[in-house]
Amino acid sequence: MKLFLQIMVTALAGAALGLAATHFMVSRGLSFDRVMAGPWRAMPQVPATGGDPYARAAIARSGQAPLGVAEGLAFTAVIDSDGATLDAACDYRVSGAVPPTRFWTLTVTDADGKLVASAARQVRRAGFTSSEILRDGVGGFQIVLAREARAGNWLPLAQPGSFMLALRLYDSPHSLQAGVLDAAEMPTIVVERCP
Amino acid sequence: MKRKTSRWRPFEGLAWLAAILCVAGIVHLVTIFALPRLAPYSAYARIAAQLTTGTLTLLPAIEPGREILPYEDPAVVLAACTFDLLRGPARLRGQLTPDAPMMMSFHGQFGQTFYAMTDRSALRGRVEVVIATRAQLDDIEVHDAEDELPQELRLEAPARQGFILLRALAERPSLMDEARGRLSSLTCENERADGSGRALVGKFGAQGALALSHD
Repeated sequence: MKLFLQIMVTALAGAALGLAATHFMVSRGLSFDRVMAGPWRAMPQVPATGGDPYARAAIARSGQAPLGVAEGLAFTAVIDSDGATLDAACDYRVSGAVPPTRFWTLTVTDADGKLVASAARQVRRAGFTSSEILRDGVGGFQIVLAREARAGNWLPLAQPGSFMLALRLYDSPHSLQAGVLDAAEMPTIVVERCP
Repeated sequence: MKRKTSRWRPFEGLAWLAAILCVAGIVHLVTIFALPRLAPYSAYARIAAQLTTGTLTLLPAIEPGREILPYEDPAVVLAACTFDLLRGPARLRGQLTPDAPMMMSFHGQFGQTFYAMTDRSALRGRVEVVIATRAQLDDIEVHDAEDELPQELRLEAPARQGFILLRALAERPSLMDEARGRLSSLTCENERADGSGRALVGKFGAQGALALSHD
């Protein structure tokens, strides 16, 4: 009887621990082959067979349809270039380089990747495409994320709290298969002002 | 945990701990590998709930609270088409607009992205893709004319069901309608397996309109 109880407790504790580990990995979107560059984290891509089982599980659970390898690359950032969590109470400046690509877009979403609804303004810009942004004389760009309107490329931040940036490179010759991406090739996210 | 004798206590405790970790490892691995098949809100489930099999349908504009798929780009207009190869091979075809970015990806029901391409890889601005099982592909090949190359891209699907997802990028918000129009010029078919599929292969394969290559 004692042995039976011990086996039961072992099985239950093991199952609980295993499920907790699965939940932890999948809900955080953790996987082994995730490419990082500065604050940017590549969204997972999975081939028809094989690939990282953690990336596959995370994709299935979130319900996303990831970009295929030939379509382009997507990156998300939940931290700034100094490693601090993005906070909609602060103002940020996104500038610098973007890897060579046919088109790119930068979008503000909530921490779960959903667009943020606006209460007052009916037309709210959620992102820029590379064709829309104003550039300086040498082709560089600066995008300001702030709650109050700004001149130039302004993306409004709505609700207080954390948010996420998504950078998508469409038809990019870059490949994640190479494994590493230089942070210098990606835009920086710098805090301008924090209350 | 209770232990019987004092003499074996440290060893026995470690053994039970190892057993717990073993069980945890097995449960963890099994659930990770089973998740793609069991996840109730996978991309396939979300899309299949919205549309009829074999019909290319524009998905609602990507706006707050109305997204069908998470992590989609509001600068993109989405159209999707689900297929069930039990009905027969599925086919995507149509005319593309020159220099207008359109991304196409082909997904199995368990989260596999088995092919992807953009408008740039279409030759002469046309797209013609056949999705089929291995057996259906063999059947199609038997009916190929011997002296000409197939004029369509043929893909073997990793699962019986799946979906095609088309993303038309609107470079400015004013081009959203244009992007919708570009998607509407493509069609999707999932023929019933009654022999008509074969006739279609002959009919459209002879147009000589397209060849695609994987980039």
